[in-house]
Amino acid sequence: MTGRDRIVIIVVVVAVILAAGWLEVVSPERKQANELSAQVTAAQAQLASAEGQVAHARAAQSQYATAYASMVSLGKAVPPSQEVPSLIYQLSRATNQKNVNFDSISSSSAGTSSSGSADSAASAGFSALPFSFTFEGTYFNLEHLFSQLTDFATLSRSGDVNVSGRLLTIQSVSLAPHGSEAGEGGSDKLSGSIAATAYVLPAGQTVTGATGTPATAAATPAASTGAAPSSPTSAAVVKVNP
Amino acid sequence: MRAVNLIPAEQRSGQQIGAGRSQGGAYAVLLVIAGLALMAYLYGSADHQIASRHTQIASLTAQARQEQSAAERLAPYTSFIALREQRMQTVETLINSRFDWAHVFHEFGRVLPSGVSISSLDGKVGAASSSGGSSSSSSSGAGAGAGASASSATPPGSVPTFTVAGCATSQPTVALLLQRLRLIDGAASVTLQSSTASGAGSGGGVSTGPCPANGPVFSVEMTFDPLPSTAAALSAATKAGAKSASNSVSPSSSSTSTGSGLQ
Repeated sequence: MTGRDRIVIIVVVVAVILAAGWLEVVSPERKQANELSAQVTAAQAQLASAEGQVAHARAAQSQYATAYASMVSLGKAVPPSQEVPSLIYQLSRATNQKNVNFDSISSSSAGTSSSGSADSAASAGFSALPFSFTFEGTYFNLEHLFSQLTDFATLSRSGDVNVSGRLLTIQSVSLAPHGSEAGEGGSDKLSGSIAATAYVLPAGQTVTGATGTPATAAATPAASTGAAPSSPTSAAVVKVNP
Repeated sequence: MRAVNLIPAEQRSGQQIGAGRSQGGAYAVLLVIAGLALMAYLYGSADHQIASRHTQIASLTAQARQEQSAAERLAPYTSFIALREQRMQTVETLINSRFDWAHVFHEFGRVLPSGVSISSLDGKVGAASSSGGSSSSSSSGAGAGAGASASSATPPGSVPTFTVAGCATSQPTVALLLQRLRLIDGAASVTLQSSTASGAGSGGGVSTGPCPANGPVFSVEMTFDPLPSTAAALSAATKAGAKSASNSVSPSSSSTSTGSGLQ
């Protein structure tokens, strides 16, 4: 065996020893370290997501009092039940204010699920309460009455919903001279009929949420943790679950 | 003279420099030691990384769990806000999809010429009942109309339609009426259905009291632009708000068209 052979053998043996050490000991360890690095990244993402959720929830918590007030206001426009007495009262008040005689009101197939425009309403589960009412008044008083009925629920320029009564959608209007008074020299009163739709929250929902779920649950954290975000929230919670 | 070989005996037979007595074994041992040291360093480094990352993962997981539990505690607030948003959006859509009846009636009062009397004015939007709802002055008639139209409110894209019937002093006045009706804001088309002189015996059920004996009795159908889609509704609502604001000033100006009201 020459010296060159010995050197080659030594180099091969050393390389084999180092390769074996690398493959059996170092490489698995480094591989595990890399896997853990990926797990760390995933855990960081999970933490970031959870922090985002908490931030979102805290923002919601800080808005709760305002949101509760607007929900109550929306409940005036779209109540949880038909609230026909309230509807009649509002119509009566509007016609009185506009010097219009409120003759009659009739409801038809109350509580049917709304369709048509109410695709959006259906998405929120609103039910339609169709009704019609008849009235008498002068042309311009009736015009003002339409405006009054529309103004029960309006959108402001800033996009806020202003509610002062039931949300009504007028579908058809008929005007005709009032009885025998029509004609030259007679009264300028008209008799009219309006077919309109009011809206009602779906069954099982209250003004401030589904029965026993969101609003009720909303009371839980404030009450259970004892860390109410603000006093208005606590007061609102009391209103939800007396 | 005897030649003397000055090369050391161990290096004479082609032996490599540095092989030494160990024949290169020392270098091999050194190489192995260096390699093992390098691997030990790498192993230790990786092991340290593993340990620190285990700790990091545990810490991050604990924090995430803590945050998640906090988020779960606050979830009712989130769902409450989401419900509020949903209802608000629905109500906004319903508001925006309404037809501005008051504005149109104001426009009617503004544009009708003085020689025209109207005996009936019927309007409907969307899938409201057929135009037979005109004689709805009685409560029973109104109820029937509502029953037919109640299944649909005023969906975006539905077309408001008005039927105007009445009489005029002359046929040119009817022509003027058609021109004026086209001026109404949002009017898409004005179609004359009939205009017949009363003397021709086609008075029908329309009162011709305020009109001359031979004055024409007319019937006109008007259609308006379709109600805006939800996307366009907000801008339309802003415009409508401006109109209604101007409407509130209108009574004094509209009273100038004395012959425009229903009789």
